[in-house]
Amino acid sequence: MISPIRFLMLAVLALGWMSTASAHHSNAAYDVDHLRTIEGTVKEVNWTNPHITFHVEEDAKDGKPAVEWVFEASSPGVLTRSGWTKRSIQPGDHATFRYAPLRDGALGGFLLQVTLQNGTILTYSLTPAEQ
Amino acid sequence: MDVPSEKRKEFFLQRLNLRKSTRMVGLFCFVVATVIIVANTSTAQETGASPAREKEWAAMAALPDFSGVWIPDVKDQHRQEAANMPPWKAEVLPQIEHMLAEEKAGRPALILGNCLPHGMPSWMLITHNAFEILITPGRVTLLGEVDGNRMRRIYTDGRPHPEDPDLTLHGHSIGRWEGDALVVDTTAIAPQAYIAISEAAGVPNNGDMHIVEHFHLVKPDVLYDDLEIDAPKVLSATWKTTRIFRRYPERHFEITEGECVQEDLKEGKDQFGNAIFVPNPQRADGSVRPVQ
Repeated sequence: MISPIRFLMLAVLALGWMSTASAHHSNAAYDVDHLRTIEGTVKEVNWTNPHITFHVEEDAKDGKPAVEWVFEASSPGVLTRSGWTKRSIQPGDHATFRYAPLRDGALGGFLLQVTLQNGTILTYSLTPAEQ
Repeated sequence: MDVPSEKRKEFFLQRLNLRKSTRMVGLFCFVVATVIIVANTSTAQETGASPAREKEWAAMAALPDFSGVWIPDVKDQHRQEAANMPPWKAEVLPQIEHMLAEEKAGRPALILGNCLPHGMPSWMLITHNAFEILITPGRVTLLGEVDGNRMRRIYTDGRPHPEDPDLTLHGHSIGRWEGDALVVDTTAIAPQAYIAISEAAGVPNNGDMHIVEHFHLVKPDVLYDDLEIDAPKVLSATWKTTRIFRRYPERHFEITEGECVQEDLKEGKDQFGNAIFVPNPQRADGSVRPVQ
């Protein structure tokens, strides 16, 4: 029988692997054929390679409670070349987020476009000719 | 009046000491001056004044201008994925077909998920990120974005490959200029380096891979990398393919610093209030894990 300490060590190892072994990935987990939109408030910005992440609290409406989404975007290099800066959207900003949802329905997506309250539209492209 | 002999002796000794001191000062000045002259001469040589160095750098001006930030033509990468499949060995092809089907079904394989550099040839084949080329005497250097370790050193000083090289993800590259093309020969690539055809399909080369590349400008700001890849463990023939990179001099693009592992972490504090990185959990498919 596995001892509790050994179990704990294995669990820590497994969690460690899960949390550190997946940064380079294909976007196939996201459904780019069925884009969606939510409105919400930015809670957290991680301006990191190889993908930026934004935590967004969706507005509570129609009796549904506020829920937190995590959106990935491309890299700081690609967004910078597309005219963004790390301050383009900040915690506290309310905006509309257009994204490719995770195929399994979890609260995550690949962020494609942000429309700020002042009407500014932020988007990006890997291809500079399209920027 | 007679000067007492003792006084005369004392006077004589004083003068002698004075002359000694003067000589010492003179000698000191000579040594200092010599040191300054020698130091200045060697400094001049170190800062680039030698004729050999001037000639070496002047020769750079005659080379094609590859320097600057290059951005991969990602659309063409996708066209190549479909149009020019590597000649996979029969036993390898089912692995690739399975990965392509899994990717299409929304279950991508994490072939590059461990944050090691993509290595050769995957960096050239599938990366979406920019790289910078530096050309200096005897060497061409490719500095990539996203991986801190994404770097290729291509030696153009005439050296051969090492006899007993350490295997690395980028291998050992030697290059030569043939007309307007830089021809690069790469060996000593780690068997674990993938031949990736997308971010979710590819196999490790499994050893003995040899890559020859011709880098050449087809327009002032369009660089082609014609690759010929021999990987006898997984390919049945030499695979020839081309990747396109574009330069946008009017946009002043710069490479951003970044480490692939950053997304696995986020900013936090330890118990003392020090700024540290803390784990940022992710899902098994590599996407970030939504907060439930």
